[in-house]
Amino acid sequence: MTFELNRALAAKREPLPTTATVDPVTAAIIRGAFETVCFEAATHLGRAASSPIINQSNERNGSIIDAHGRLAAVSIGTPHLVFISQLTVRYGLQFFKDYDWGPGDIFVGNDPDFGGGHLPDYNVYAPVFDDQGELVLIQALQAHQGDTGGKDPGGFTLEATDIFTEGLAIPCMKIVHRGEKRRDVIKLLERNNRFPSFAGDLAAMIGAVQHCVKRLEGVVRKWGSEVVKAAVNHNIDHTEQRFREEIAKWPDGTYSADVFIDHDTLGTKDVKVHVSCTVKGDHLTVDLTGTDDRPQLVGVWNTFANSRGYAMTQLASMIDPGIVKNEGLFHAVDIILPENSIVHPPVNKPAALGSFHPACEIIEAICVAMSEVVPERSTPQVYKIGMPNAVIGFKHGQMWMDQGVDARSMDSSAVQGIDGWGSSCVGLGNLLLSEAEDAEARFPIINISREMTTDSGGAGQWRGQPGSLNVKQVLEPTMAMAWMVSSTHPLRGLCGGEDAGPYSNHFEVGTPNEYKIELSKQAQLPADAVIAYQHGGGGGFGPALQRDPEAVRDDVLDEKVSLAAAREKYGVVLTGTLEEYDLAVDAAATEALRRKMKATAPAAKAA
Amino acid sequence: MGYRVGIDIGGTFTDFALLKGAEVVLHKNLSTPEDRSLGVMHGLTKLAGIEGLELGEFLARCDAIVHGTTVADNTLIEMNGAVTGLITTEGFRDEIEYRRGYKESIWDVRLEAPQEIAPRRRRLTVPERLLFDGSVHKELDEAAVREACRKLKKQGVESVAISLLFSFVNPEHEKRVARIVAEELPGVQVSVSHEVLPRAPEYDRTSTTVVNAYVAPRVTSYLEKLVERLQQAGYRHRLMVMQASGGVMTREYIQGAPIRVLASGPAGGVIGSAHVGGAKGCPNLLCVDMGGTSYDMSVVLNGAAPAEAGWNMHHRYLVGVPMVQVETLGAGGGSICHAANGALQVGPTSAGSEPGPICYGRGGTQPTITDALLMLGILSADTDFAGGSFSLSPRGVDEAFQKLGAQMGYSAEDAAFDCWRVVNANMSQAVQRTVASKGLDPQDMVMLAYGGNGPVFAAIQAEDLGIERVLVPKASPTFSALGTLVANPAIDEERSYLAQAGGLDVERLKGFWSELEARAVKYFAEAGFAADRVTAKYQMKMRYPGQNWSLSFDIQVNTGIGDLSFVDAGLGERAVEAFNRRHMEEYGHIREGELPEVTCVRLVTSVETPSPKVLSGFTAPTVVAKATRSRRANLGDGYQDTPVHLGASLKPGSEVMGPAIIDETFTTIVVYPGWKARVDDAGDYELNRVAATAATRSAGAARPAIAA
Repeated sequence: MTFELNRALAAKREPLPTTATVDPVTAAIIRGAFETVCFEAATHLGRAASSPIINQSNERNGSIIDAHGRLAAVSIGTPHLVFISQLTVRYGLQFFKDYDWGPGDIFVGNDPDFGGGHLPDYNVYAPVFDDQGELVLIQALQAHQGDTGGKDPGGFTLEATDIFTEGLAIPCMKIVHRGEKRRDVIKLLERNNRFPSFAGDLAAMIGAVQHCVKRLEGVVRKWGSEVVKAAVNHNIDHTEQRFREEIAKWPDGTYSADVFIDHDTLGTKDVKVHVSCTVKGDHLTVDLTGTDDRPQLVGVWNTFANSRGYAMTQLASMIDPGIVKNEGLFHAVDIILPENSIVHPPVNKPAALGSFHPACEIIEAICVAMSEVVPERSTPQVYKIGMPNAVIGFKHGQMWMDQGVDARSMDSSAVQGIDGWGSSCVGLGNLLLSEAEDAEARFPIINISREMTTDSGGAGQWRGQPGSLNVKQVLEPTMAMAWMVSSTHPLRGLCGGEDAGPYSNHFEVGTPNEYKIELSKQAQLPADAVIAYQHGGGGGFGPALQRDPEAVRDDVLDEKVSLAAAREKYGVVLTGTLEEYDLAVDAAATEALRRKMKATAPAAKAA
Repeated sequence: MGYRVGIDIGGTFTDFALLKGAEVVLHKNLSTPEDRSLGVMHGLTKLAGIEGLELGEFLARCDAIVHGTTVADNTLIEMNGAVTGLITTEGFRDEIEYRRGYKESIWDVRLEAPQEIAPRRRRLTVPERLLFDGSVHKELDEAAVREACRKLKKQGVESVAISLLFSFVNPEHEKRVARIVAEELPGVQVSVSHEVLPRAPEYDRTSTTVVNAYVAPRVTSYLEKLVERLQQAGYRHRLMVMQASGGVMTREYIQGAPIRVLASGPAGGVIGSAHVGGAKGCPNLLCVDMGGTSYDMSVVLNGAAPAEAGWNMHHRYLVGVPMVQVETLGAGGGSICHAANGALQVGPTSAGSEPGPICYGRGGTQPTITDALLMLGILSADTDFAGGSFSLSPRGVDEAFQKLGAQMGYSAEDAAFDCWRVVNANMSQAVQRTVASKGLDPQDMVMLAYGGNGPVFAAIQAEDLGIERVLVPKASPTFSALGTLVANPAIDEERSYLAQAGGLDVERLKGFWSELEARAVKYFAEAGFAADRVTAKYQMKMRYPGQNWSLSFDIQVNTGIGDLSFVDAGLGERAVEAFNRRHMEEYGHIREGELPEVTCVRLVTSVETPSPKVLSGFTAPTVVAKATRSRRANLGDGYQDTPVHLGASLKPGSEVMGPAIIDETFTTIVVYPGWKARVDDAGDYELNRVAATAATRSAGAARPAIAA
């Protein structure tokens, strides 16, 4: 039943029927108006919402879908959410008559088996009609909610074996009818959420969508719905054409990669994602056949819509960034997601953790596979963290949660010509990280340290950014949740660059009870317990022995690379001391050392 | 009554506005980039000459010289500030490198890191820790501070930023670090975060302090040199300096945190707009300033341009001091038009003034918006340009647009017209974004246009945005200088205070406000203003639990400083009411039954100083102006013979019906079809929409002719 539905939801849709033609400049102007509306949706929500994950982390996304369910325009937010929104809407559109769609209506959907991502990603959407009452567009707004009413606060249950453990699944439900909020329905949603702030977030989402529908109605009125439809068609076709032009530049062939997740949440090891990317002329096929499908796996099931969206997230980062993001991207690529595998699960599988892994391994595998083809744009748009360390407690009978999305560096890989930098890949560049002074004013915690760890960035001609060690103390007894991966299989280096440093995680640090999280943990921490999360770094790009020795000297001065690693990994010999800031490259000794290292290493490199 | 002089230094010109009584004299001369104070002295000598005085005598008669400077902006553009080091709390060395995760593009994996002001080797940490309530969790390790100084000295550091966690609650550790740095590194400039930006969170505060440290030596030495020159030449008062917050203050105050002058130039323009708009009875303005490289947008509400201390990214660095919000789009006369993958694009790259547009005849080869305007007949090669400094030349322009048109599959003139449409649409979208993030609708506002290209696009922009009325002041080319003259001396400072609205500590609140009052009294006294002349706005910043952004609002406005009797047991309740009102205004809803929390207390103090009186009204008899000539121009409805007026020939009462073009000294005003221009009693222009049909025409409408 699900597979059939998914095939139908993902199938290519026809262009909007219209009598009008449109010139490219007008089409671009209308697209600009759409993107501005999406921006307004996200801005409005970001400013008015109460949950840190929405208002601080910007984990939200506005998009405009056409009457056929095609992605017409997207806004800021994260690429990882951008490419998912249309499938929930397509599901809802099946019930256009049945659910009595009309002007002023707003719907919500989040069901992993009906076009959704994981449960916390609520998609709130509303139709836009023209003066004749014809459906033209749908404004969608997605945001990650702090809770979903399941067994565990936050919606992440490590041992869940079905979706019902994780919370309330909503295929498509009307929350505003002809401009009137359905108070009974909204009460039901509020009741199924642990956070009192959820009501405010939902109200903010509804307000933002209503604002944007009004704006889009203005756009449709101004240009006429025929011209708007023609513009949507034009823009989607243009994007497809531009993407195909990029693909046509890539050499024909099949490029494959295997990437592994250390284990599922209960310890089954080496969960595999396999991808074969086939370039043929101006067409690309991304086939994940061969990916793990062991039915007993727990926690590593990624929804169909998510798998599709994440594959596109990586592909979209590997083409000219000026190409407009819309449905046209999906027209240029066939994405094959094998049924019953972890990237296209059977019905009722849990979905929460799949959005981390294997979702990110889909991205990583595509990146590794294509890195020799598009080296100048190959850097994985991932978060390899199993799960941030969330700590949860109660104050005055109310739950609080520090989601652990703290300022830190992780997974910021190099790309050809540019070292990894900042705190994560560019795709996450809109997610603002939490600061100690805000968190400590709210929660009984102390952030002890969050600095980068020397040598934890993958060595390479261009170096991965080191990962950081985030150390935190809880001042009251609290619950903490952790899921560890990327330790045995850290983020991969590319084109001869070395893998990133691995993740590791310790609880009750510095006490006789100290322990390392090998797998996953739902722990009761005593007051004053310290937890320390070593984040993985970014992967290196290209052979380390080809890195400019002066850049290595700078890295040593900046304590991103140790003196020992300068010699052992990069073959660079330095004189002077770090203490006196008088390090200098000994050019002759470096050349000799590198020659010697190359002579002894080629066998390993070739393998 | 003496003179008052406003001076604004831009990249190309230094602008002057001299106020004597109610009269304003404007002057412009070239800037002198090698030593900008020279250009200032040239202009002052010129103004003295206009008044028939020697420079010394003129300066002796000046009550105030008010100055807007771009020296901090230039330092960040050129990245040639001081060798800067940072001392911060152990464990927090890398906050400014993380940038809270922020990257400017989410799609471009080839985006490079910003050049680091304080690379990791010059970011040193010391053991110490305060908690959120200011209590000491770990004592400061002074030996470690001395060791950090040794390391910074080794690296030739010229300026040191100090930013410790929760220093805005308890500055004791930062003060001790600053003392040690002063001992160990004599002559090095020190910036402490609790003075530069006393608020959470740590990235915002640290970044602002580091940027301050980077620009401080250049700003300080520049201002010192200027003051010295002015004093030697005979000026007897304090130099007042424009801040990004829109107020001016003494050089001595600015030197406490020189970062306050960053982005002060555009702020001056907005303040000037608010003043002119107020005089014309327009308290709510959308201000647009289009020059050679950018289109700057700002909003004046209820006659004021509120400064916000939020996520202000400048030149890729976060600077959190209060700034008049000015949004920038890379769209100006010099913006380059090009076809990329079948789409026509304008900007953000600009040809600048050198080589400039093709029609400047200085070697530019890429078509720009100014060239497109020449193609469209909106500008003319037969008229003086930029106040008569030179004429435009059509040589090479048509060829460039033919080439562009060939890529798009149509003629040169169609290409030029589409460039006009694209830049219009880009600007409209940018305006929508600017006002949307403030929860406003442009239809409720009046547009005020300035800058060389502002009036060219103003009416068509207005039409696109549903605005009915546009003001174009005659003084618009020197608007920032006028703004510095209009701006009042002002201090805008805040202190972080995190508390539930239900449990306010009245004594602590009094303490914060007393401290802010004391600073205001001190600096206003130095500037020659007694405390009883100062208007004090006591503000609070609040948010609902969980929200990240706070809203600020007045809780009390006093004339004179020192009366804190409003801080009483009922304050919390009044604050909640005021906050809910603000939240309703801003977001259209409030959260019933949720108690908001306080994040900051703020004190905004200012003194009214004399400013130019702007006339308004239309008492002069209406005379429909007769055009003296015409030219072939496309104002959106295809090429037509279009009447052209000379600005100098228009007098109060003159009325010009669209379509028409008015050639002014430093700008061109386009009266689009369906619009009319009138000259008011002050000689300023007002444009009004007269035809309801206009909305379906022009920039807004699709062009089927092109679609074929």
